[in-house]
Amino acid sequence: MARGGSNRSRLLLVTLLVSSLLLITLDLRGVSLISGSRSVTQTVLSPIQKATSDIFGPVGRFMSDVKNFGKTKAEITDLRAANAKLKNQAILNSDIKGQLAQLKKVLDLAGRGSFKVASARVIGRGSASTFSQTITLDAGSSSGIRKNMTVISENGLVGVVKVVTTNSSIVLLMSDPTFRIGVRVARSQSIGILKGEGANSYTVELLDPAGSLKVGDSLISIGSDNNRPYIPGLPVGVVTKVDHTTTLLTQSATVKAYSNLNELGIVSVVVQAPTTAPKKPINPTPNPTVTVLVTPAPLPTISGTPVSTPSPSTTKAKK
Amino acid sequence: MSPVRLGVSTAFLFFVFVIQESIISRVHLPITGFSLYLAVLICLIALEDRNGAVVMGFIGGLVLDLSPTSQSPFGQWALIFTIIGYVIASNLESIGDFTSEPISFVLFIAAGSGISLAIYLGVGLMLGENSGSLGRAMVVVFGNFLWTLLFTPLFLPIIRKVREMTLTSRERL
Repeated sequence: MARGGSNRSRLLLVTLLVSSLLLITLDLRGVSLISGSRSVTQTVLSPIQKATSDIFGPVGRFMSDVKNFGKTKAEITDLRAANAKLKNQAILNSDIKGQLAQLKKVLDLAGRGSFKVASARVIGRGSASTFSQTITLDAGSSSGIRKNMTVISENGLVGVVKVVTTNSSIVLLMSDPTFRIGVRVARSQSIGILKGEGANSYTVELLDPAGSLKVGDSLISIGSDNNRPYIPGLPVGVVTKVDHTTTLLTQSATVKAYSNLNELGIVSVVVQAPTTAPKKPINPTPNPTVTVLVTPAPLPTISGTPVSTPSPSTTKAKK
Repeated sequence: MSPVRLGVSTAFLFFVFVIQESIISRVHLPITGFSLYLAVLICLIALEDRNGAVVMGFIGGLVLDLSPTSQSPFGQWALIFTIIGYVIASNLESIGDFTSEPISFVLFIAAGSGISLAIYLGVGLMLGENSGSLGRAMVVVFGNFLWTLLFTPLFLPIIRKVREMTLTSRERL
């Protein structure tokens, strides 16, 4: 009897294991029924998440404040000092600002800050039972949000939209270990790849062995084809520590993100990138040339009618 | 395990899953987050017989696989918890039932929660998932163990009560 029960248990175990493996295989092969089940769950969960966000939001923020109490105090002191420094710098920068404005006109690098965005509230964070770093937003496809759109905060890059339902979307944060983005060092214009590490620190590895990194270097996103998933020119982070290990072919560094991913309340999804920002080097194109063919006409014998002459602004090709 | 109890247990697990995804995930605890769902599932598995533990593990894993924030393939948690259910039930038969001893049971749930995360990590690595550095993963596993150890005594009596309510008169005997 006991043996029969044990055999039944094993049969049940094998059946369920095979079912699990079948589900994994179907999901990895992209069967829509399986992969769509998570979207359905998100659709069901998003109204509940919205409601609980209103009710329990203050609790979550309180816990966050308690957690960061010492850090926040030190940060305020640092910010005050930085603010005083910046005030002095602002006076000196006014001259540079004028020059920069001119330079911008010349290089036609307009477009920064002219993104069309959809703002959304953070209503959920990634589950503790997975290792992925995600947030859930209360806006979805009905607000124009699509998969692989860039998500920004007031300080810079936050992540990229991975799952979209009608009224909610899930964003893969830049701190996720699978997150990769191409960045440019603002000072040296070297190009590298920034990786998330699952926490608040990031690493950047330069692609060019001759490139250089320094502490305090700002990193800007390079952008992707058709601006998806990443738009160009976004502030990503600042280099805090340069790795001088000689075994690496290229230089790498630790980076602190501009956005504080632990305190995200409202974020914006870039639904339309600036159309004027140059994606490729601009090749100077000649102005359109107007060719006017003038046939020499016999001089009028009867005076009184003025003879029209070609405009000096047009290029003339005389026969 | 009767079909009615299976249905009620599934509904209860889904309810806990919604609480986990909607409320608990929003609370930023130091070190890492706390998974109420893992703790409840391990608790329920430990209270079942061998067949019940395997079925409960599979269903509980499937519910967890529904998590929209999960990047792992659908079915990974079901696979892990089916194995965990079988292992727990087999060992409970040999080492004896300690679920009536609160401290041992809480320690068991906390350890089980941490171990299930570690197995998830291992299976994820075999399937080619990137879960970050080993150090960070260990911090997550340890943090989850710690929070489960602290919070489980608060809700363990409720879980027991709910489970008792779902038992049929025959199962009570």
